[in-house]
Amino acid sequence: MKDIIIDGKKISVKEETTILDAAKELNIEIPALCHRPTVEAYGACRLCVVDVNDGRKTRMVTSCNYPIRKSIEVNTQSERVRKTRGMLLEMMLSRWPNVDVIKQFAAEYKVTKPRFIHPLVDYSSNACILCGLCVNACSEIMWEDIIGFAGRGESRRVVMPFEKHYDACVGCSTCANICPTGAIKMIDDPNQPADSKRIMKYGSKIADEMVLMDEEQCDMRGVGTAHLAQIMNDYDLFPTCNYKFGSHKDAGGLHSDVFKQKYITQGLPDGCWLGCSMSCAKTVEGYELKTGPYKGDKVLIDGPEYETIAGCGANMGIFNPEFVLEANFYCDTYGIDTISFGTGMAFAMECYENGILNKERTGGMEFNFGNEEVGLEALHQMGRGEGFGVIVGQGIRRMKQIFAEKFDLTKKQIKFMQDIGMEAKGMEYSEYVTKESLAMQGGYGLALKGAQHDEAWLIFMDMVNNQIPTFEDKAEALHYFPMFRTWFGLMGLCKLPWNDVEPADNAETDEPAKVPGHVEGYVNFFSAMTGKEIDKHELILQSERVYNFQRVFNYRLGFGTREHDSIPYRSAGPVTIEEYESRAERYDKQLVEKWDYDIKGKTSEEKRDYLRKMREADYQKLCDAVYKRRGWNENGIPTIQKMKELKMDLPEVLAVLKKNN
Amino acid sequence: MKKLTPDQIEIIQDKRINELRKYKASLMVCAGTGCVSAGSLTLKELLDNKLKKKGLQDKYLVVPTGCNGFCAQGPILVIQPQGIFYQKVSSEDITDIIESLENGTYVERLLYKDKESEISIPKMENIKFFGKQKLIALRNKGIINPENIDDSIARGAYLSLAKVLHQMTQEEIIEEVKKSELRGRGGGGFLTGLKWEVSYKTGKDRNKTPYIICNADEGDPGAFMDRSIVEADPHAVIEGMTIGARAIGASEGFVYIRKEYPLALKRLRIAIKQAKDYGLLGENILNSGFNFETHIHRGAGAFVCGESTALIASIGGKAGEPIASYIYPAETGFRNNPTIVNNVETWANIPVIIEKGADWFASIGSIEGSKKSTGTKVFSLVGDIENTGLVEVPMGITLREIIYDIGGGIPNGRDFKAIQTGGPSGGCLPKIHLDLRIDFDTLTEAGSMMGSGGLIVMDDKTCMVDIAKYFIDFLKDESCGKCTPCREGLINLSNILTRITKGEGKENDIELMKEIAETMELASLCALGQTAANPVLSTIKYFRDEYEAHIKDKKCPAGVCKELIKYKINDNCTGCTICAKNCPVDAISGKPKEMHFIDQAKCIKCDICNEVCNFEAITVE
Ligand SMILES: Cc1cc2nc3c(=O)[nH]c(=O)nc-3n(C[C@H](O)[C@H](O)[C@H](O)COP(=O)(O)O)c2cc1C
Ligand code: SF4
Ligand code: SF4
Ligand code: SF4
Ligand code: FES
Ligand code: FES
Repeated sequence: MKDIIIDGKKISVKEETTILDAAKELNIEIPALCHRPTVEAYGACRLCVVDVNDGRKTRMVTSCNYPIRKSIEVNTQSERVRKTRGMLLEMMLSRWPNVDVIKQFAAEYKVTKPRFIHPLVDYSSNACILCGLCVNACSEIMWEDIIGFAGRGESRRVVMPFEKHYDACVGCSTCANICPTGAIKMIDDPNQPADSKRIMKYGSKIADEMVLMDEEQCDMRGVGTAHLAQIMNDYDLFPTCNYKFGSHKDAGGLHSDVFKQKYITQGLPDGCWLGCSMSCAKTVEGYELKTGPYKGDKVLIDGPEYETIAGCGANMGIFNPEFVLEANFYCDTYGIDTISFGTGMAFAMECYENGILNKERTGGMEFNFGNEEVGLEALHQMGRGEGFGVIVGQGIRRMKQIFAEKFDLTKKQIKFMQDIGMEAKGMEYSEYVTKESLAMQGGYGLALKGAQHDEAWLIFMDMVNNQIPTFEDKAEALHYFPMFRTWFGLMGLCKLPWNDVEPADNAETDEPAKVPGHVEGYVNFFSAMTGKEIDKHELILQSERVYNFQRVFNYRLGFGTREHDSIPYRSAGPVTIEEYESRAERYDKQLVEKWDYDIKGKTSEEKRDYLRKMREADYQKLCDAVYKRRGWNENGIPTIQKMKELKMDLPEVLAVLKKNN
Repeated sequence: MKKLTPDQIEIIQDKRINELRKYKASLMVCAGTGCVSAGSLTLKELLDNKLKKKGLQDKYLVVPTGCNGFCAQGPILVIQPQGIFYQKVSSEDITDIIESLENGTYVERLLYKDKESEISIPKMENIKFFGKQKLIALRNKGIINPENIDDSIARGAYLSLAKVLHQMTQEEIIEEVKKSELRGRGGGGFLTGLKWEVSYKTGKDRNKTPYIICNADEGDPGAFMDRSIVEADPHAVIEGMTIGARAIGASEGFVYIRKEYPLALKRLRIAIKQAKDYGLLGENILNSGFNFETHIHRGAGAFVCGESTALIASIGGKAGEPIASYIYPAETGFRNNPTIVNNVETWANIPVIIEKGADWFASIGSIEGSKKSTGTKVFSLVGDIENTGLVEVPMGITLREIIYDIGGGIPNGRDFKAIQTGGPSGGCLPKIHLDLRIDFDTLTEAGSMMGSGGLIVMDDKTCMVDIAKYFIDFLKDESCGKCTPCREGLINLSNILTRITKGEGKENDIELMKEIAETMELASLCALGQTAANPVLSTIKYFRDEYEAHIKDKKCPAGVCKELIKYKINDNCTGCTICAKNCPVDAISGKPKEMHFIDQAKCIKCDICNEVCNFEAITVE
């Protein structure tokens, strides 16, 4: 901390704070034409000059980029400072006499009629005043560098390359938004929104949050979703060895730091579409492959994402980042989903370690957890369509079937496969351990398409912050969030900017988990895009219509009932003694406190079985509560009444429902 | 090629010296840019051929050298070791030159003639232009073939590098440079050793590898010091940089050189390759374990790119704009690592400081008082001066010595009016300052500056308002335009000066310009803008009456500003009609043998009548 004096007022600020920021804290206004908090100080307009005395001499500096490192005394209003600003404004006013910002500042400095005639005078009220904000915003906020300055001295001007319209401009309007004079106009918005200004307002709000807060919040621009690996491991949620555990001593090998420092190149965000200010995708360049058809080639790898790191890493008992990268590359190349691959392999590995598989059955491969060589060989087999890899490649539901049919298994073994095969509705689980969050078990089990967390991610609300203690609370969350998140799908929008960056004041709102500030943004976005005013309730309703329709659709195809909402027990609690004992303290405590179970003298086996009974019953109760909240019958089928309320009582829908109701 | 060890440098040195001794004389043909354009390369070829034809090729060696310095008299040929200086040599002179070599005489007509005494001076050392010079940075100019590394080694190159690598610690090198009190020759005059120390310490503290940059941008109009050094002795620069790299712990460096210097670029490329082949650059230099690579970055020729932060941005592929920051490149420069930017001449001084010691260096120059300028400075001397060319003089020499002793005074019998020092944003100093000592601080106090060493001499036919306008216009075009005071200040100054030179000056223009100048000085982002008003301020300070004549009397006393002058015919007119015949717009009328008359409405002030009149009958007022 440094103690400084500004205009006679004392203040203590962190080292490297700029004078402009320090003055702001003291409510001292300094004119700063070319500065915004979202872009790096450019130092072009020079209006923000102040006098600084460091005890030895006084010099004039620009306050927007002068870092405080000593105990200095600042004068923001000395005579020569005012005179200098006045002359700067006089020169600017002579060149751009009708630009509002300049007129306003000039008036504050009593400059109304310049004493000289400027040879380049521009009478437009939207003239470009060369502040550089647009150029820097395009580069720093959007990482695009579409516009830049051309020409020196008096011919300096803002242009696109070769002064032609440049197709690569993503039309994000960041530049138009930040321009203090309105010099930049969006001439062609291919989406033809009803009210582009309103869209710009909310869009730039997110962009500003990204620039100002992302690094401290999720660092999506820096490392993308990879940042989750460490958090999940810290909270015992990082799936390890087929979801047996939620953390591992070697998990540090898969932390985002490792990827960032050693592998991710360019340090540039790489958006799914060009205008994204979050741009969380990452790239590893020049990675030399060690296996497979491209062995020895240096390749570019897209990612890795969190799910890939967990699935093609910890869940297979592997903590080597290079394995993750290699698997990532080949999954992408062969067209294989990294989650299904990781979770499927984890299942096969656990089967192998429990005698359901053996070397003979796998075609000679030792399918132990942590076997990197086998991990990649199975992947290449999948790609080539041969060997045991083909069986793994068909997914867990088929594997269970094939193993039971082909191999001579005991009933117990078949039951075990049901317990540990992490799939629901035939889809492999994505990479979170849900054992301690009932709501999240519902999040996976009740999702329409299968075990995916994209309908709801409730672990923190439920397990960490205990915000939804009752079944009704959980059911409410399992109504609201799936509907809200479905809406992104309906609109073709990415969900990440909703809560992977949050407004600075989010924690102070009534429902931080919903990120109300951003919900408001989406409501406005819809209204501005379509010209049809909606509110946040209508937004949920839009989803509910589709969501219920989809449920009916599932039902028509023979899914969509309680039976299909069931989950493997591994996702609700410890299947094995090893699992139970690894977290015995936690489970013992729950047995005693939640279920009044007398654990004295009980074996782990007895305790595990009791816990299982309780948790499985809870899951069914959760289903009851959720069905009720969603307006479905006790078998999980939407009621005709509900479809009527939603105005989704289409004849085809009714025909399906009437058969049963 | 085998990489050298330190002892092997000395072996090469001895070998080359012995080789050269076998020749009876070396014919040093200047192959600097000036002489090359005057045909010196052809001359060299013809000399070679002729010697071969006569079977004398083992007796006389023809050496293409860097700029000799006396460019106005090129092509230059110097016979060494005798030191015979021939000027304006052409192919017709070759036979005579060889003959005189054989006879031990010289070719009288090619010798330099002293202006006053009209006596021919055969020996270079006796010519005043060279007499007062002291060569450190240019120690090898005109005596080595810059494209042959062995020639440089014969003159001691790379021995200092061997010394720092094997006998000195990093701290000792920095200490030595600090003790020499060498100040940067690129304009700012910052203490080089101090800068190195900052980079060295920052690199160590932050665990970052520093970079080395040689600034060979040289954008000042009319300046060619740095180009000449690179052309004449590229190894001096490379050795200096490598020593600097060793001192601060850099492993990579850049030479930023403008594209308009093809010859310098070529010689630098050759030199880097030769140094690499000898293991004097690259990995494990001189078997010391120290690695240093240097790359060439070609600048596109913007003046502002010579400014260190703009230069670093430009090397990094960004627009060549200075970066607004109170953090300096020595701490946070290229790729955010500590970066040393030094001027070509600064680098060229380093090996000599190491070789002869800091004390020796610090004893040369302007060394009284607390503000010292040690060593020498290279200047390019141009304008209204007899001997234009490149000179290296000890700091502290007076302007008078440079202009009259070295420069040979003002040609055509005219009077000295002013000297512009410090490049475009330097100042113009008048007669009263002729005895001013040339060093960093004295020049700044007088309202000018050292800059990188351009000296432009002006005679009494120069209009100071017009000169100020010339420099302001140059700067207006070269300002990057990023910051308001420099961009707008220069546009407005230029506009006001244009008005004044057109006779449209207003009463308070001088005060208004001073106000603009003050804002530029205080508020500009980089040194270009901070000093850009110097040409105006210094001319107002020393030649205010000329401004007033333009503004109040609407007259240009020097007769330069076209809008303010009139051509008239006076009583001397004999009616010879020659002017009327030559006037391109038929503005002159009159009968033969009668007085002629100029129609002011038609006259375009081309000055042709004045030039053709044999009777001084044309008056300009
Ligand atoms: C507009 C401008 C142009 C400059 N041009 C040059 C140049 O051409 N060569 C140079 O060495 N320094 C130039 N400089 C000075 C550099 O910024 C820097 O101070 C210098 O290269 C440092 O080296 P030195 O300490 O050895 O002088 C220029 C500075 C300014 C403001
Ligand atoms: S619209 Fe976006 S991408 Fe295009 S120039 Fe402006 S900021 Fe850059
Ligand atoms: S277009 Fe607008 S934002 Fe860009 S430099 Fe000009 S005034 Fe500034
Ligand atoms: S002072 Fe001039 S050259 Fe320097 S940054 Fe400002 S506009 Fe550019
Ligand atoms: S706001 Fe500081 S220079 Fe423009
Ligand atoms: S170029 Fe030959 S003397 Fe300068």
